[in-house]
Amino acid sequence: MLNILLVDDDLEFSDVVCHIVEFLGHNINTATSLKEAHQWFENNTFDHVLLDFMLPDGSGLHLLDHLKMIGQSPKITLISGHPSVKGILAEMCEPNVGHLLKPLQREDLELVLNGPKKVAKKAKASGITRHFGSLIGESEPMQHLYTMIERVAKTNANVMLMGESGAGKEVVAQAIHNASQYEGPLIASNCGALSKELIGSELFGHEKGAFTGAIARKEGVFEQADNGTLFLDEVTEMPIDMQPNLLRVLETKKVTRVGGNREISTNCRVISATNRTLSDLAHNNVIREDIYFRLAVFPIDIPPLRDRKEDIPLLAKAFLDQLNDENGTSFSWTSHQLKELQSYEWPGNVRELRHAIHRAFIMSDPQTSDITLPANLESPFSRVNTQVDDKQVSAGQTIEEVEKELIHATLDKVQGNKTLAAQMLGISTKTLYNRLNAYGGIGEYK
Amino acid sequence: MTSDNNNQQLDQLVHDARGPLNRISMNAELIKLVLENDMPKEKAIEALNKIISNCQQCSGALQKIVDSQ
Repeated sequence: MLNILLVDDDLEFSDVVCHIVEFLGHNINTATSLKEAHQWFENNTFDHVLLDFMLPDGSGLHLLDHLKMIGQSPKITLISGHPSVKGILAEMCEPNVGHLLKPLQREDLELVLNGPKKVAKKAKASGITRHFGSLIGESEPMQHLYTMIERVAKTNANVMLMGESGAGKEVVAQAIHNASQYEGPLIASNCGALSKELIGSELFGHEKGAFTGAIARKEGVFEQADNGTLFLDEVTEMPIDMQPNLLRVLETKKVTRVGGNREISTNCRVISATNRTLSDLAHNNVIREDIYFRLAVFPIDIPPLRDRKEDIPLLAKAFLDQLNDENGTSFSWTSHQLKELQSYEWPGNVRELRHAIHRAFIMSDPQTSDITLPANLESPFSRVNTQVDDKQVSAGQTIEEVEKELIHATLDKVQGNKTLAAQMLGISTKTLYNRLNAYGGIGEYK
Repeated sequence: MTSDNNNQQLDQLVHDARGPLNRISMNAELIKLVLENDMPKEKAIEALNKIISNCQQCSGALQKIVDSQ
């Protein structure tokens, strides 16, 4: 409970504020002039002074001087109808002096009296900048990414996003769309999820009766994204024999629906994405060269999370704030937990981080504000990935060496059960024994 | 000099118009409190009456601004 003095010459206003402040659980007294305020301070002390800027016998600022003189330093909130007062206060650099603008609202009063408890949380949430309305991170690699996005957004060049799975390719696509001048929508389509038969219809649309099951006319994603952005995820997973059709659309900016004979103009920026590396693209023949140059007019690399670990606390806070907002909870991180999150490698990138936080959120006791992180942050996929890495074959190994490694790995997996191992390897149990003997005996697999 | 005087006069008139607005705002907040906490409705009616009379005052203050131009 605070002891408050309200100094204002508007009696009716003072009366209502008294009701509200008393309801908020504080003691309040009123003065209608500087003179009365001085009298109050002769025999009393106050925690907080709500002070009108324009009083009948002078400016509210005179009371500040007076308080300094008598050695009292309550918190002061100046109330004025003029926004310029805020500027004057900023020049004064008084840490104890705040400002409220008329007309007042109850939340304003609660905020200055009850302190920044609830409000601090809101400020924190909004303190995290979402660049281009979607991207979080202030690290060097992200700053570089923002520059690239800013430059390309102004143009109509096609963009190819490259980055590991979970690094946020669709979020970057959204950012480019947000920063661009295109007024149409952002339409996303996953080329890896479509069967060879359906991909033409998905991309270019179809006319009624074009094929069995085409019971109505359908607009393709190129048409839907007219004057907007088309995001083609996993574009390198598109069957290579479908790619010439795509090339034609990219070159002519015109689509013909499956079963149709009319060309329809489409004006959209194509943002494509792949989680393959450049050398993978070059060597594995997953994308035609001509398509690559059409799609990757401006290639952008999205950094993996392990290369921008300083952003992990920001991301973790943003994800937790979002979950708190959605569920009406008030969990928060300890600095130790944030360090723990930072120390992990996150092979699944931001998606994995988000998943881990969601899991921790569900596991935590909603009665407390402490979030419980699991003892082990690893996901099943990160383990599989490491295993694969450990046992990777490399050039220079003999077939015999690789075979031996494979047999041992399989036996390890089935705890030495040779019948099962032979089945998994596609050989007879006898052959398996023969091989093991050839490697120098059954040894540990007896 | 005359223009400065005019500005000062305008500032004063705007200040006079903000007074009733400020009272309207706080009285509305008080009514919210009364309703949210099942307090006696007389308090709410008193505040509503104040809002109505302050609307008249605000209107008068705005007219003064118009007249001063």
